[in-house]
This record gives sequence, structure tokens and C-alpha cells, in this order.
Amino acid sequence: MTTILCATRGGASSFPNQDRAIALAQERHAQLIFLHVANVTFLNQFASPKIVDMEAELEEMGEFMLIMAEERAEKAGITAQGVARQGGFQQALQEVIGEYGVTAVTLGAPVHGTALTTTAYLQTLTQTLLQEHAVEVFLLHDGDIIEHHLPTPK
Amino acid sequence: MSPNIRFPRCWSFPPTTKSHLLISLCIALVVLLLSRQVQPVQAVAPVDGYLLTGSLLDSQTQPIAAATIEVVTAVDSTPLAVTESQDSGEWSLVIPEVPSQNFQVTISRHHFAAQTLVIDNDARAQLANSGIYRVGSLTLHRQIDASFWVATAVFLGVLLLIAFEKLHSTTAALTGLSAVMLATFLGEAVWEPLYIFSFERALHYINWEVIFLVMAMMIIIAIIEETGIFQWMAFQAYRLSRGHSWLLVLVLMGVTAVASALLDNFTTMLLMTPISLQIGLALGINPLAFIIPEVLASNIGGISTLIGTPTNILIGAYADIGFTDFLANQTAGVIVALVAAGGYVIFHYRAEWRKASGGISPRLYARLQQNASIEDSAALLKAGIVFLLVLVGFVVGEQYHIVPAVPALIGATALLIWLKPDINAMIKAVDWTTLVFFMALFIVVGAVQEVGLISMIADGISRLVGSNLVLAIFVMVFGVGTLSTAIANIPLAASMLPVAEFLTGSVPGGSSKVLYYALSMGAAMGGNGFLVGAEANLVTAGITEQAGSPISFKEFLKIGLPVTYLTLLVGFVWLLIRFVW
Repeated sequence: MTTILCATRGGASSFPNQDRAIALAQERHAQLIFLHVANVTFLNQFASPKIVDMEAELEEMGEFMLIMAEERAEKAGITAQGVARQGGFQQALQEVIGEYGVTAVTLGAPVHGTALTTTAYLQTLTQTLLQEHAVEVFLLHDGDIIEHHLPTPK
Repeated sequence: MSPNIRFPRCWSFPPTTKSHLLISLCIALVVLLLSRQVQPVQAVAPVDGYLLTGSLLDSQTQPIAAATIEVVTAVDSTPLAVTESQDSGEWSLVIPEVPSQNFQVTISRHHFAAQTLVIDNDARAQLANSGIYRVGSLTLHRQIDASFWVATAVFLGVLLLIAFEKLHSTTAALTGLSAVMLATFLGEAVWEPLYIFSFERALHYINWEVIFLVMAMMIIIAIIEETGIFQWMAFQAYRLSRGHSWLLVLVLMGVTAVASALLDNFTTMLLMTPISLQIGLALGINPLAFIIPEVLASNIGGISTLIGTPTNILIGAYADIGFTDFLANQTAGVIVALVAAGGYVIFHYRAEWRKASGGISPRLYARLQQNASIEDSAALLKAGIVFLLVLVGFVVGEQYHIVPAVPALIGATALLIWLKPDINAMIKAVDWTTLVFFMALFIVVGAVQEVGLISMIADGISRLVGSNLVLAIFVMVFGVGTLSTAIANIPLAASMLPVAEFLTGSVPGGSSKVLYYALSMGAAMGGNGFLVGAEANLVTAGITEQAGSPISFKEFLKIGLPVTYLTLLVGFVWLLIRFVW
């Protein structure tokens, strides 16, 4: 059975891309993994005291949003699993691809400045995934597939 | 990275580390207590010789410290006696004998024009007869030299580096500190007009009461926040609102304002944003309709207490304004401002309230409940008792002139002993970056005070407001409020404190300290104007970005700017009611 990984941040702007990933899973009779990666390095720029354990707070928030994504998938009859990770997005993504035997990945392309990633970053990441992990990559924009890359034969 | 503080049943850390922290806290306590006992040295009668005394003031009648006073005679260029003026501007020196001819007292200080005073026959006779002669108060006049421009450029440079995020705030402040010290070094070694102040004098500008209070509160808050009380309160707000999202936002604003009055705004938003985001998403509402109003409430709510904002801590320590003073003089104005902000929020997001989906799945509800549960009720009870006692300590301490840092340090120590948290995590919970930022910033602001920039600003505002207290309050509330929309409010407040001090002394009616309260309101409420106006705003945007609900500059501006001026108006009117009418 194929496994599709949908990298998501979980907010309302991510819903169209989550729905597209669910639709892809339906087409391919695949299982779906939603991945949320929280990164607290943005806190380093502030002078105010960082007393709160933000890693735990963001992890709980990520898990909540993953449950929301899982429920969307279950409503469409797709088995989905949420995976919450901490740290760098690229490293976490590659780890999960390896751990879960992922065959296809959906990534959200920057929309109206709402994405954490830039177009250049996504292009580099896509090439890495194609070459090092031999997975299919879909770049999604507001629920539409704007780029579809097949894995590079080794 | 924030530590995860747990409360182990047994000790799982090196005892030496715990001892070090406890000893440090005890030493800090003793230093603070002793520092309050030491009074400025006044002129004392000489044991042997003849005493000359006097005092030095600047053109704003503020005392001048660290001026060099020398007694020289016409026949010998070697001074008979040398001394330095105290913080109070007072000076005294003893000469072994009264010279047979007229002699001179020369007064010199960097950044001021030197003065020479001739001690004539009459004065000599008085000195010889009574053994003491009081020269009286002398006014020294400012002298603008290269150091003025260097210190001003450094200060503005630090503000710009922070505003445009070119450097971390602490790095920016340290860069400023280094530049100031380098100028002084060059001033001593190469070209005197570059000299700003000595390192010892620079340290004099660090407000240790602020540093210790912030440090102690970090320890207390780190323990309290770990209990999950604020997330629990947010979840209860969600339950009690029964699906009425307009009511929910008002309750969340209230919870945030109360939390912000007890914690700092930044910490409050770190705690409130994730849970509010989950509530908003679960209800099918744009979570920013909850979160942006919470940021606004956080910046307003903190004004009501001494520990609610870093700017209030600064103001309290500088102007000797206590916990109850803030509570009594600000709270009513803050509540009215919150009501006004709440009304505007309901109107602004009116379309969102109709979108609420009505209910969430049992699984999501259970998860929300789990994420907002009290983590450790025993720790919460103990921390709550200690925190309450610290607040009582603030109030009682005012009667005995004990600075707020003392009860806060005692409270922090009590929690360490009672709860036995992981001490390594606790040490990490003290954000040393913030403390270093404060220390470096105090010195950079001290540099512009030293060279006369702050006096110049105070003079300008003084000329503008004349003896009109209402106008002075207006300028302080709206002027500082407007500046605070774009300039980081901590350096802004730190640099405006000497201005408020001068106006408090010069404007009739200012002795009620109303201008300090006006500064507090302006600095905090102004932070709501733009997304970049306060660190609490920016960190909230950082968290929502992580969840795919970013806050744009424009979106924040649309609600932040009207609320800023609405609340500034409320604050201004409140201060007039409380202090003028």
C-alpha cells in the first residue's frame, strides 16, 4: 500500500491542501500521514524572557491540529495518522519519510506570504526528496497541484 | 530554548548547583537590603581642619554627581584638597588650614563648563572662626562636545537596530555599550572630547532593583506557568461562553488582561496563543479574531500592576512607585480602556462571530481539555500561596521602604525550597539574555543622560508644556504612545524616565507622579499600534505563523491603531479625573 505524506501547518489556510492530499489518497487507495513540524528558533530574536516551555506548547498545538486533519480524512473514508515533530522542517520531513516508507509527499507552496518556506527553499527541498528519497512530490497551492515531480531514477 | 520544568519526587540534580543558586539568591537579598540602608553621604563636621561644603545643580536643578572639586591657592598649583560630588550633588572637603590669602574652589566635570569660585576675605574669616563655610548651590552649564554626538548616534543606532531587527536586541544593546566604552577609552587616550563616562560611572546607571525583580519574577512565573493554570482558565472561558463567540472573546480578553497584570505581556501571550488558536480552529472561526484582541488586552492589562510590564518595573524602581500605587492609580483607567477595546473588537470582527460552527467533535473536545488541564494541582496550590504572599509582601514592603525585589526574591527562594524543582531547568528558566539586555540598555541610556541629550529633550518638552499639567500629561500619554507604536517600549521608557522626573519637578501639580503614570500608559498602550510595536505582538505572530494563521502587518494595523488611540484617550481622561479634576 502506498503512503502519502502531507506536510501541514494545520490552520485554515492549510485546509485546501489537506483536502487535495486526501483526494490523492482516495485516488490511489493510499494511507495518509499528516506531518506538523514545530520550530521554536523564532523565539531567539526576542529580548523578553522566554520562560514558557514553548516546545511542549507548540507540540500540543500541533497534535490538536493533526487531529483536526485526521478527522477531515476520516470523513472522506481515508485512514490517516498525524505525526508531530520538533526542530528543522527538512530534517524532520526526511526522517518521517524514511520511518514510514512514504512514497509521495505533498508540500504547500508559498501563498500570499503565508508560508514559512520560500519558493527557492521548496525547489531545493524538492530536488533533495527526488534524488535522495525517490519519492513523488506534489507542490500544492490553495488546493491545486501546481507542480508534480516524479522520482529521479537512481 | 525554554526548559521543561518538572517537579520530581526525589532530587535528580547536583546539590552543589542548588546551593549555588540559593546562595546567589541570599546574597542578592542581602545586597538589596543593605543597599537600602546606605544613605547618601552628607557633609560632616571635620575632625581636624576646616570644612568647605556646597552643592551642584544643572540648569534643570537636578543634582550633579561625580564632579571634581579642588581647592587651589594663588601661590601653589597643587590642590590643597580634592573631592567629588555625591549623587545628591552635595560635596564637602577638608583643608588643614585656612590660606593666608584669597583662594579658589574650582569645579570641573565632563560635559559641563568648569567654574571657579573665589573664597574672599569675608568667607575666609567665617571659615577660620567657625571651622565651616558653606559655598551654597552652584549651577553648572552643559557643554556640547563630540561625546554628545557619539552617545546620541549610538543610542539612535541601538533603537534602529532593534526596530529593524538587524541584530538581536541584547546584541544591539551590547554593541551600543561597547561603542560608548570605546569612545570613553579613546577620550582618555587620544582626544578628550570623546570621553563619555568611566566604567564605574556606567555601572552606576544600572538599576539593580529592576534586574533582581525581573530575575526573581522569572523563577516564580516559570513555576506557575508549568502548572497550566492560564490554559485552564482559557478553556473554562470556552466552556462558559457556550458557543457565543463574541462572549468568548470578551472573556478571553479579560483572562489575558488579568494574566498580563500578574505576568509580563510576552509570557502571557506565549501561554494564551496556542490554546486560543486551538479554540478558534475548533469553533470554525478565524483564530486571529480571538488572538489579536488578546494581544491588545495583554498590552493594556499589564499597565495596572508594578509587575505587569517591564516598563512598569522600570518606572516603579526609578520613581519609587509601589505595587499599590499602580493598582490604585491605574486599574480603573485600565478597566475602562479594556471595555472600550472590547467594544471595538466586537464591532471589528462582527462578521466572524456568525461563522461559529456550533460544536466540536468529542475527540477534539477531549484533546482541548487535555491540553488545558492543570498539570500539577499540588504545585499550583503551593505556587499560588507563595505568589499571593509575594503580592502581600509588595504591599507591606511599601510601608517599610522595602523594594519589591526583596519579597520577590524571598518568594522565589521559598518556591525553590518548597517545590524542589529541577534546579538546572530553573537556572535555565532565568533568561539571562533579557537581564543582560536590561543592563546594557541602562548604560546606553545612561550615556545619553550623561552627555545631556535627555536634558535637552526635557528642556524642549518643558518649554512646550510650560506650567500646564494637562498639556504635560497629554504630551506624555499621546507623545510616548505614538512613539511606542514603532519604537521598542523598554528603551523608550528608560530614556523618558529622566524627562518625566524633570517635568514632575518643574510642572505645578506634577509631584503626584501623574507624569510617570502617563508614561506607563503611553509606553504600553502605544505598543498596540503596529505589529512591531511590542514584542508580545511579534511573538504572537510567530506562533500563529507556525500554525498557518499568520498575522499580517495590515491586519493588525486595522484594529491595533484605532484601539491604541481609543485607549490612549481613555487613559488620558482617567489620569485627568484621578489627578487634575
